[in-house]
Amino acid sequence: MKKAITDLEYGETGTIVEILGFRQELNSLGIRTGKNVKMITRQPIKGPVVVIAGDVQVAMGCELAAGVVVDLGTGGDR
Amino acid sequence: MRLLDRFFSCHCSGGTAPDAGCDHEGTLLLIGNPNVGKSALFNRLTGGSATVSNYPGTTVDVTRGSLIADHQVWEVIDVPGAYSLEPRDAAEEVATRIVAEHPDAVAVAVLDATRIERGLYLLLQVLEGGMRTVVAVNMIDAARAKGVLVDTAALQQLLGVPVVSTAATTGEGIRDLVGILHKAQVANLATVRDRLAGKTPQTRVNLPGCAGCGRCG
Repeated sequence: MKKAITDLEYGETGTIVEILGFRQELNSLGIRTGKNVKMITRQPIKGPVVVIAGDVQVAMGCELAAGVVVDLGTGGDR
Repeated sequence: MRLLDRFFSCHCSGGTAPDAGCDHEGTLLLIGNPNVGKSALFNRLTGGSATVSNYPGTTVDVTRGSLIADHQVWEVIDVPGAYSLEPRDAAEEVATRIVAEHPDAVAVAVLDATRIERGLYLLLQVLEGGMRTVVAVNMIDAARAKGVLVDTAALQQLLGVPVVSTAATTGEGIRDLVGILHKAQVANLATVRDRLAGKTPQTRVNLPGCAGCGRCG
């Protein structure tokens, strides 16, 4: 099942399958396709989203995060 | 040659085309993500006193110092932390400008051993820029405490530039880093891609300044 990273529940994990929009900006922070992420927190009213990618916590703006599509099905790390 | 003379002059005739064994001044750029220990490394290398803290974004301006190693005086520049060389904030703008201003410098790409992958994006951008590069896998003590082992030899083989592990706060590996500066190499990214694809490209011969340990090929 695929959904935007902003729709992940707290603690839910997924593998990034697609990044729409600002790819370069997120790539430099370690957010790339194939990466496993876990939702840490998301703030209400279009606030920032914080996920763990590998060992690194990455916070990103809501608009940026909305373009990141994750797949919940596969649990394979990489 | 007296030490003082070494400071104030260069015995290369004309000061151009430095060849092996020449006392030419070089520049060293410490480049890396925020909070990986660039300033701690800077202090170790230069005996300086750049502000070090456990927060990213401590260095927003440039600190310069000098290091004398192997009869050569290096100017060491502590570059502000950056995630990429496409600037998104003031610190990254400074970092990008410094890198652009010193195309002939040796880049010391500093990685956090506990979060290697995060630093690889910037490292690759540095290599793409065609600078002579050495890689310092810093915070190796913290990584060891976390049970993370770093195969520096494999990274060196893959990238074709020297890789050493360091712990700037304890001083571990600093001597190795200084000793390997003159072996800094320009990476050939096509070759790196071939190696990643499992091919084994021809080993380069007669690398400038390389005594031939045979590992970086």
